[in-house]
Amino acid sequence: MPIARLAAAVALAACTATAAAQQKEIKIGFIYDVSGPFAGGGSEPAQVGTKAAIDYVNEKGGVMGYKINAVFADAQSKVDVAINEMTRLIDQEKVDMLAGVYSSAQCVPMAQQADARKKFLWINVCVASSVMKDRKFQYVFRPTVHSDQYGAATCEYVQNYSQSKFGIPPKNMRIAIIHEDGPYGAGVAAANEIECKKQGMNIVLKEGYSASAPDLSSLVTKLKRARPDVILHTGYNPDITLFLRQAKEQGLKFKAMIGHGAGHSQIDKLRQTFGEDVNYFHSADPAAAQLLDPKTLKPGMAELIKELQSRYEKVKGPGEMPPHAAMGFNNTWILLQHVLPVAIKKYGGIDAEALRKAALEVDIPVGGTIQGYGVKFFGPGTPMAGQNERSFVVVMQYVNGRARIAWPKAVQTTDPVLPFPKGHTFAP
Amino acid sequence: MSEIFDIYLLEAVLNGLLLGGLLALLSLGLNLVFGVIDVVWICYAELIMCGMYAVYYLYVQYHWPLVLAMLAAIALVALLGWILHQFVIRPVLNAEPINQLLVTGGVLFFLQAAATLVFGIEFKNLGVTLPSVRLGEMSFSAARLVAFGAALGGVVGLWLFLSRSYLGTAIRAISQDRAIMPLMGVDPGRIFALTSALGGGLAGLASCLLVLQYDIHPSIGLSFGPITFLICVLGGLGNMLGGFIAAFIFAQFIAVGGFFFAVEWGYVIAFIFFIAMMFWRPRGILGK
Repeated sequence: MPIARLAAAVALAACTATAAAQQKEIKIGFIYDVSGPFAGGGSEPAQVGTKAAIDYVNEKGGVMGYKINAVFADAQSKVDVAINEMTRLIDQEKVDMLAGVYSSAQCVPMAQQADARKKFLWINVCVASSVMKDRKFQYVFRPTVHSDQYGAATCEYVQNYSQSKFGIPPKNMRIAIIHEDGPYGAGVAAANEIECKKQGMNIVLKEGYSASAPDLSSLVTKLKRARPDVILHTGYNPDITLFLRQAKEQGLKFKAMIGHGAGHSQIDKLRQTFGEDVNYFHSADPAAAQLLDPKTLKPGMAELIKELQSRYEKVKGPGEMPPHAAMGFNNTWILLQHVLPVAIKKYGGIDAEALRKAALEVDIPVGGTIQGYGVKFFGPGTPMAGQNERSFVVVMQYVNGRARIAWPKAVQTTDPVLPFPKGHTFAP
Repeated sequence: MSEIFDIYLLEAVLNGLLLGGLLALLSLGLNLVFGVIDVVWICYAELIMCGMYAVYYLYVQYHWPLVLAMLAAIALVALLGWILHQFVIRPVLNAEPINQLLVTGGVLFFLQAAATLVFGIEFKNLGVTLPSVRLGEMSFSAARLVAFGAALGGVVGLWLFLSRSYLGTAIRAISQDRAIMPLMGVDPGRIFALTSALGGGLAGLASCLLVLQYDIHPSIGLSFGPITFLICVLGGLGNMLGGFIAAFIFAQFIAVGGFFFAVEWGYVIAFIFFIAMMFWRPRGILGK
């Protein structure tokens, strides 16, 4: 009898193993940077957020019986490595689709190649408008914001408070636009220039620089000569820290600093380096989920935010969760919960064509995601085909290390402190 | 005209001078090693990165006094220079130059990857800010002034060592004729190892000054490695005085060019100058 029991147990184990081996899975290749300068600029938190979403979905049984098998590749903050990794994921790992991507410099060529190869690419983080604009992509979708929206939001913000807070009429408001010179920085800066001019403000300097430049002292000197009231800055890291350090050493004064995501959204890191010097700084980005008033979101979103926060803190410890973690989580969640089920159920699989059709059917109202925005993609034949038309950015202000939403007024959670209070390192 | 030639132009020129001091300091060790051993350490900036991490951990994590942490970092990078020579360079000393380049290039990637694994991707910094030095409307980084002084001191000290000491004389002799000196009782292996340690020590000195001005991360070498190499080539590889002069020329192009035009143009003009010089004087400004 013991032998019979043993045989039965072995048979049962074999059956279980076979069933497990045969469990259906969807293989997704995610590309982020977990080494090189982009890692600390937000790419690594985005990967942490993405993993949290996948783990959570898998723990709840996957997507319609499919387990999500995520393959993560490190682009090492290099464009060529990103493209090689994408090729490897498609040809060797045989992934069903691609997702992730932090840097716009990587996004531009990757999106073109993926679309040309009819491979579905779901962009979680990179924001340059030029990634999508006039490209007529079929298989590339981006649920997050795009850089034109950054430029518009921050200029509207400054214009709105120009008279009431700064005591300066908008036409006399002196704006300096400085940016890293990749597609991301150049895209945001171009939008800044158009929008600030449209708002009737005075642009006194607009200048780009390489994110790996070893010296920015001449930029600081030019800013000293231009005497801006507000600096609109788009950069990664370590260029932001280099700029701020040299600005402080050279005695640059201004009344407000407004960053545009990436390094400016990593407030914990900036505070480690500059302490109180970065108090009252701003960053525009899709909302860091935990900052939104849960009452403005649809049912279930608050719980999802708590889930993300607890999973993020398990990995990174307590602190201000950067927007990139929410971007990684939120946009992966949308893919897993709103695109894949429709592709499988309605279009019979997860090939690029089925995924494309399913993505075009996504219709999430504003407030239906943890970052507040809704999702509806611009359709084929439009200039921004594949871009989410319901995304929006918020302007956050950091006070004593905590972020608050300062703009737009509809979701505002703080009355912004403008200009810098007297005694601030950079206050005139 | 007075709008252009104002106090801010003077600030840009003086900042260029200070940047020149920093670049000159960076180029010292690389030039010394090439001048004597005839091998380019492509991984030189990564040795500096190791020194920066050493200062950070000793000062921030283990609470050593800053000066002591810096002295230990200089000693550590000197040791790394010696190890690099003994275990990596020596086996390929007589190989083709391209093989030597590839080997030190391999060390570059190894050190970057190892730093990522060991220290992580987080940007680290000492949290030490030296006060600025004000001069009317102008303001300058004290850390850069110190680097400038260290570069001058380093060049003078190295010159005195090479010209006044027995070991320095032996180093110069080996660099002039590697074949004949063993016949006169000089052990080239020992001299090469010593030079490598000295080159490493200079990289350590540079790391102590960079750590006051920059965040530390595994890719920090990318910001300085290529420009340091170009400066050495512009001055004449192996020629320390040439490298010193080239650093200041290069820095002025970056600072003043970036002031008159866009910041990026400063670098473009500097590199155009470099290319033109390579046509005019392929062996560098003071190269023979």
